[in-house]
Amino acid sequence: MCFRLCLTLCFDAMVNKLLRQFIFVTMMLFSAGHAWADLVIVTSEATGISTLSKEDVINIYLGRYRRLPNALPALPIDMAESSEIKKKFYWRLVGKTLAEINSYWSRLIFSGQTQPPAVLNSSEDAIMRIHRVPGTIGYIERGNHSKLDKRLVVVFELGE
Amino acid sequence: MFFLVPLGVANDNSQDVKEKNQDSAVKFRGFGTLGIARSSSDQASFIRDASQPQGISNGEWSARIDSILGGQVNWQLTNEVMLVGQAVSRLRYNKKRTPEITWAYARWEAMPDTSIRIGRLGADFMMLADSRLVGYASLTARPPADFFGPLFFHHFDGVDASITKPAAGGLARFKIFAGKTQEKTVDAQNIWDTSGSHVNGVVADYWQGPWQLRLNFAQVKFSNSLDVSPLPDLLNSAGSILGLPSAFAAADALETKNTTSRFYSLGVVYDSSGLQAQGMANCIHHEAGLLQNSCAGYALVGYRQGAFTPYVGLSAWKSTARGKITGLPAVAPFDSVNFAFGSVMNLSHADQHTLTVGARWDVKPNVAFKIQWDAIRGNSQSVFPFRDEQAGWNGKTNVLSVVSDFVF
Repeated sequence: MCFRLCLTLCFDAMVNKLLRQFIFVTMMLFSAGHAWADLVIVTSEATGISTLSKEDVINIYLGRYRRLPNALPALPIDMAESSEIKKKFYWRLVGKTLAEINSYWSRLIFSGQTQPPAVLNSSEDAIMRIHRVPGTIGYIERGNHSKLDKRLVVVFELGE
Repeated sequence: MFFLVPLGVANDNSQDVKEKNQDSAVKFRGFGTLGIARSSSDQASFIRDASQPQGISNGEWSARIDSILGGQVNWQLTNEVMLVGQAVSRLRYNKKRTPEITWAYARWEAMPDTSIRIGRLGADFMMLADSRLVGYASLTARPPADFFGPLFFHHFDGVDASITKPAAGGLARFKIFAGKTQEKTVDAQNIWDTSGSHVNGVVADYWQGPWQLRLNFAQVKFSNSLDVSPLPDLLNSAGSILGLPSAFAAADALETKNTTSRFYSLGVVYDSSGLQAQGMANCIHHEAGLLQNSCAGYALVGYRQGAFTPYVGLSAWKSTARGKITGLPAVAPFDSVNFAFGSVMNLSHADQHTLTVGARWDVKPNVAFKIQWDAIRGNSQSVFPFRDEQAGWNGKTNVLSVVSDFVF
């Protein structure tokens, strides 16, 4: 009887411990996954900068001022129109939908002002370009950054 | 091996250049508006701006004033030099929609913060003026007519130069421009060819966060007269017969050739997280007595709710009569000259305000539908923003517009 009681209590304790561990691991995985999904603005080491302010990123991506803090010309890269990351990027950066961004650019393009960022189809293409051309900056998901290339320099993190 | 290293470097560099220029091949883009509108009054025709010879009236739906189609080609020759050409089909002074070349210039960006453009350029006379044909770029169905109505210049042949620098925690841009216009417009009866008129101006922009502030100054020295014949000859003849200097002065007031019109404007835009607000004011001063000095302003607020952005705006436009008289006696045959002079001097009179309510629906990333209602309330002498005013015109009309704007 005493043995069975002990066994039951031990079993319950073990289940509780496992359950707590499962919940902890799940939360860690969830939070880790959430963190990995954050958007980051990256460039190559050859660009020679370590950080950009949000205002810098806005000015570069909206075509107002495309010069990096070290005076190098900034060459922003955009993702394809249909990509989720592009929607997320502009929403987090300036709180605008893609329709609003397109409207913004239509004013600048058709009034003969500056041109929109170059468009590439994938983060892999963007990273290749970033390594190849100093001054190029792009936005990727942190997970991709970790998985694809650790030589990239994160110059700005774009949180929720 | 010794040859391979430089060869590899050369390949890498050429690849860089190739990638830099990859996005730069010749690009064709376009924009347009398919729109219908109706104006309730049968006593005057509503127009979009002073460049349009015909308007809409009598409650009849028409695609005349808002429908526009434009195409643009950008050719990036090098990383620093771009060629741009744009043609637009819209209702013009001659009642036709023959496409006109609105841009044709070379842009040189020696550095990322400087730009020099040479060729046919947009007339950047007021904030948003050089993009007012691109409906998709705007919240409203058309630019507020009370504000942009008197501005018939869309482009000029010349040069502009701009520089942008960080300043006071934001960005400051300074631009100067100069050249000659190549445009024609129309008044109540006659085409006014302003080709060859000298234009120049300065623009100062300041951005900080969601705010943009713009100060503009531009001036035009007209190369040709607005034809109001035979009135000047009649006034001069009458002045000679009666020995009246005031009649000669009245005739001089009708001359626009070699007179200068100056445009002053201020604009503020706030745009963040779905809230758009614009406030602008302008004053236009004319040396020519024939053209009335005017001031105008508007405020517009819109707030995005999903794909819909309802908006409301209020605008006003008022000009000042010159108060000139001929001094001729009010007896035949001089009374008819007085009447004609008074009518001509009132051709550019505006005294009205407009309440605008509408909504924009971004149905797709590059297509937007808009519905808009404008309640225009002016006095019976407010005739400049209209065509074909009748004797019973009371300055009031309601304009309902449904437009589809797109870019491609």
